[in-house]
Amino acid sequence: MNAIVSIRDVVKEYQLGTTVVQALRGVSLEVQKGEFLSIAGPSGSGKTTLLNLIGCVDTATRGVVEVAGKDTAKLSERELTDLRLNTIGFIFQSFNLVSVLTLFQNVEFPLLLQRKLGAKERRDKVMQLLEQVGLHTHAKHRPSELSGGQRQRVAVARALVTDPLLVLADEPTANLDSTTGNQIIDLMKTLNQQKGTTFIFSTHDHKVMQHANAVIRLADGKVLERVSAREAVEHALSLGEAPQAEARA
Amino acid sequence: MLIQIAWRNLLASPINLIIGGLILAGTFLFVVVGGLLDSLNDAMARSVVGSVAGHIQLYSSKSKDELALYGGMGGDQDLSAVTEFPRIKQTLEQLDNVKEVVPMGSSGALITAGNIVDVTLERLRNLYKAREGQLDDPRLRDLSREELDARITATRRHVRQIIRVLEADQKKAQAILQAEAIDPEVVAAVERVSKDAFWHDFEKDTWGSLEFLENKIAPQVTDAQLMFLRYLGTDLDRFQESFDRMQIVDGTKVPKGQRGFLIAKLMYEDQMKLKNARRLDKLKDARANGRLIATDDELKRFVKENRAQTRDLVLQLDDLKTAEATKRLQGYLQSTEGDLTALLSAFFDTTDANLEDRHRFFYEQLAPLVELYRVRIGDTLTIKAFSKGGAIQAVNVRVYGTFAFTGLEKSPLAGGTSLMDLMSFRDLYGYLTADKKEELAQLQRDTGARAVNRENAEDALFGEGNTVVAEATPGIIDEDKTFTGAGRRLREDDLVKRVYTEAEINGGVVLNAAVMLKDASRLSETLATINATASAQQLEIKAVSWQQASGILGQVINFFRGVLILAVLFIFGIAMVIINNAMMMATIQRTQTIGTMRAIGAQRSLILTMVLTESGVLGMIFGGVGILLGSAAMAWLHAKGIPAPNDVAYFFFSGPRLLPELSTTNLVVALVIIFLVTLLSTLFPAVIATRISPLRAMQADE
Ligand SMILES: Nc1ncnc2c1ncn2[C@@H]1O[C@H](COP(=O)(O)OP(=O)(O)OP(=O)(O)O)[C@@H](O)[C@H]1O
Ligand SMILES: [Mg+2]
Repeated sequence: MNAIVSIRDVVKEYQLGTTVVQALRGVSLEVQKGEFLSIAGPSGSGKTTLLNLIGCVDTATRGVVEVAGKDTAKLSERELTDLRLNTIGFIFQSFNLVSVLTLFQNVEFPLLLQRKLGAKERRDKVMQLLEQVGLHTHAKHRPSELSGGQRQRVAVARALVTDPLLVLADEPTANLDSTTGNQIIDLMKTLNQQKGTTFIFSTHDHKVMQHANAVIRLADGKVLERVSAREAVEHALSLGEAPQAEARA
Repeated sequence: MLIQIAWRNLLASPINLIIGGLILAGTFLFVVVGGLLDSLNDAMARSVVGSVAGHIQLYSSKSKDELALYGGMGGDQDLSAVTEFPRIKQTLEQLDNVKEVVPMGSSGALITAGNIVDVTLERLRNLYKAREGQLDDPRLRDLSREELDARITATRRHVRQIIRVLEADQKKAQAILQAEAIDPEVVAAVERVSKDAFWHDFEKDTWGSLEFLENKIAPQVTDAQLMFLRYLGTDLDRFQESFDRMQIVDGTKVPKGQRGFLIAKLMYEDQMKLKNARRLDKLKDARANGRLIATDDELKRFVKENRAQTRDLVLQLDDLKTAEATKRLQGYLQSTEGDLTALLSAFFDTTDANLEDRHRFFYEQLAPLVELYRVRIGDTLTIKAFSKGGAIQAVNVRVYGTFAFTGLEKSPLAGGTSLMDLMSFRDLYGYLTADKKEELAQLQRDTGARAVNRENAEDALFGEGNTVVAEATPGIIDEDKTFTGAGRRLREDDLVKRVYTEAEINGGVVLNAAVMLKDASRLSETLATINATASAQQLEIKAVSWQQASGILGQVINFFRGVLILAVLFIFGIAMVIINNAMMMATIQRTQTIGTMRAIGAQRSLILTMVLTESGVLGMIFGGVGILLGSAAMAWLHAKGIPAPNDVAYFFFSGPRLLPELSTTNLVVALVIIFLVTLLSTLFPAVIATRISPLRAMQADE
C-alpha cells in the first residue's frame, strides 16, 4: 500500500460561540507516496483545516485520518509530536524561523529534537541542505538578515532535514512575490523529484498550482474533484479566480 | 542549544536587566548584610560568652522569671536560689562536652559616697574617737598616740581649708545675689567656723564642735554622688580561669580562696574617678580619634564642665596642698592669680592645641596632690544590703584591683559589672555559710543578741580611707533570722583575711552558673544533654544558651536578622512578581515560535525546560555577580574592619573593630534562594508555554 495519507469521511467542526461551524463536511482523500499535490479552493473552503489534520496538529471531529499508516485519533499527544518530528516536515506561510537562532541552528533544530545524529553528522546534513537551497554561505546569519524568499528556503531546508515522508506547506508562497514564490515551488518540486518526498501544499495561485501532479479542489468543506494541474488551472481561470489570487499575492 | 536560545532571548529584552538588577541587589544584600549579621553574632557571642555568660547558663527551674544577664524588661528578675550547686557541678562536669561550671549570682548596690566634707568630718570624728579609745577600727587600732595626733592636726587643716573655700564661695554669692536670697544663719555659721577662735577652742567641746560642723557646714556642700554598682558574685578563681579575656588592669587579683572585690575598670574610671581627670582623659581620647574641641559640641561641653566644676578638686586639698597647687599652676600658666579656683578654671580651658600638654601637666603635677579615685585599690568597700525584713546585712570586701575584658575595655555592657567573691555575695543575700553561722552564734552569746541599729552600723562602716558605703538591693531570700543579731565585728578584717576552700566556696547557694564548653559548636546538643540530665537527676535547674540568657541583648541580633529577612523577602518578592510578568509577556510574544517548535516536533517538556533555563540563566548570572560582588565587599570589609561607632558597639563588635567574615553557609543559602525565586516565579509562565498549541504556528503573530 503506497498511500501515505488516507482520509475517510472526515468532519471538522468549530464551535464559534453558540453556533457550530463545519469547516470540513465529510472529506475523503488518498495521497500516494511521491505525489506533489496541491490543495486549491476559495477562501474559507477548509484548506488549512485539512492540512492541520494531516499534519497532526489538530484532530478531526469525526472520520479517520491515517498518516503513514497510523490512525492519528489513536495516538497520544506525545506520539503525535513524535510522528510530526519524524515523518512530517512543515513549511509555513510566514516562514516561522526562530529569530534568535542562526540559519544553521534553525535547520539543525529538528535534528537536535530527534537526538539521532552526532554533532558531525548533523553538521554535514545541515550544510548539505543549506547548499541545496543555495544558502550555505549564509549559515551563520540570522533570519532577520534575509529576504522573505531566502527565509522560506531555509524553512524548506528545515522541513526536509529529517528526511520526512511527507512535507506540508500551507500557502508557502502567499507572503512572497510571484517570481520568488515560483522559485520556492521549483525548489520543492526539485526536492520532490530528487528524494521522492511527498509534498502537499495549498494555494490560491494558479501559477503555483500548475506545478502540481494533481490538484484537489475544495469548496465549502467538501472535495469537489481531483484533477490534473492543467484542468485545475483552466477551471480556476474560467471562474475568474486568478485576479483574486494575483491580488492576494 | 537551549541555553543559547535562553541567552539570546535574555539579550533581546531590556526588562531582563531590571530583573537581573533586582536579583543582583537581593543577593548582594543577603550576602553582605547576612554576613555582617553573622559576624556580629559571632562577635557578640565572643563578648557575651567571654565576659559573663559562658556558653550556657544554669538557673533554678523554680524561678519565676527567665534569666536575663543584662537586665530584662522589668527590673530585677526573680530568680530562685540554686541550692544544690556542688551536686550540679559534679554531675554536669562529668558530661562529655562540659569544661567547667562556674557559680554566680548578680546584684546591684547603690553607693552613697558622702561628699568630701562629710567624709573629712567623719574621718576627723573617728580619729578623735580612736584617741579616746571609743572606736575599734582595724586600721586605726595600731596607731600610736602621736600618730593619731598628727593625723588629727592634718585633718583639721583640711577642714579649715574647706571652710576657706566655702567662705570664698559665699563672698562671691553675696556679690551676685540679692540680700534676701542669702540665709543669714548660714553666713553667721561660716563666719564663726572660719575664725581662729573656733579652732582654738575646738577641743574644749570636741563633740559639740564636730556636731556644729556636721549640722551647719556640711549641708552647704551638696554634691554627694550616687553611684550604682552592679556586681557579680562568683568563684573568682574559676571565673578568672574560665573567662580568659578577663585581665587585671590595676592592682592584683584576689588571692586564691579569699574574699575580695574587683571593680570593673570602666566603672572605676567613669564613676569613681575625679570628674575633671576623667573628662581630660576623654578629651584626649577624642582628640586621638581625630575629633576637634573646636568643632565638637560634646567636647566643648567637657571643657565647659571642667572649667566650672573644680570644687571636687579644690575641696580635696588642705591648706598646704592648696598653696602647692596654686604655685604650680601659677608657674605653668605664667599667672599672678592667687585664687586656686580661678587658676584651675583657666587651666581647664583646654584647646586642641594645648590639651596634650595640659593633660600631661595635670597627671604629673596636680594628680599627686589629690585622690584621683573615690575608692583606692586596697581600700575596704563596705556593701550594705537592707533585707526585706529591714535588717542590715553588710560586708566588708577589700578592693584588690580593677579588671577589664580584652577588646571590651570601652564597652559599658561588659565593663559595668564588678566582681565579688561568692562568700561575700552570699552574706549580702543572707545565705549563711557554715562558718558564718557558727560565728553568729558565738557573737550572739557574746553580745546578748544586741540588735544593730542603723546609726551604729553606719558608724562602724566608715573607717580610715574608706569613703564608700554601698547599699545592695534587697536580697531575694529572707535572711536567716539569726542574722539580725549581727554585731559589727562581723564586718571586720578577720573575715577579709580568711581563705576558703573550694568546697566552702561551692558549698552554698548560688543564683546561676555559667557552663563553659570544650567545643562551642556543639552548644545546642550539649544544652539538650544538660537539660535531660538535670531532669533525670532532679537537679532542679534549667539550662539556657547564652543568647537566651542575655535577655534583650540576645534578641537584638535576631531582630536585625528578622529585618534582613523581611528586606530580602521584599526584594525577592518584587523580583518574583516582575519575573513572573516578564516571562508571561515573553511567552505570549513568542507564541508563534513556541507553536512552531511544537509543530515541528518539540515535546512539551522541552518547552518547559527552555523557559526554565531562561530564567535559570538569568538568575545564575545576576545572582552569581551578586554573590561575587557581595563576597568582594565582605573581603574588603574584612581587610578594613568596621570601627565601632560608639562605646556600646564595642560589645557587639567584641572589640574596637568588627572584622566581618563570610560564611559558606550564607553563600549556599544565597544560591538556594536565587534558585527557588527563579524557579517559583517562572513555573507558571513555563506551564502556560507548554500549553501553547502547535496550531498557533499557523497563525500570524499579532
Ligand atoms: N479556529 C477556528 N475556529 C472557528 N472557525 C474556524 C477556525 N479555523 C477555521 N475556521 C472556519 O472553518 C472554515 C474553513 O477555514 P480554513 O482556514 O480551513 O479555510 P481556508 O480554505 O484555509 O481559507 P483561506 O484561503 O482564507 O486560508 C472557515 O469558515 C473558517 O471560518
Ligand atoms: Mg488557510
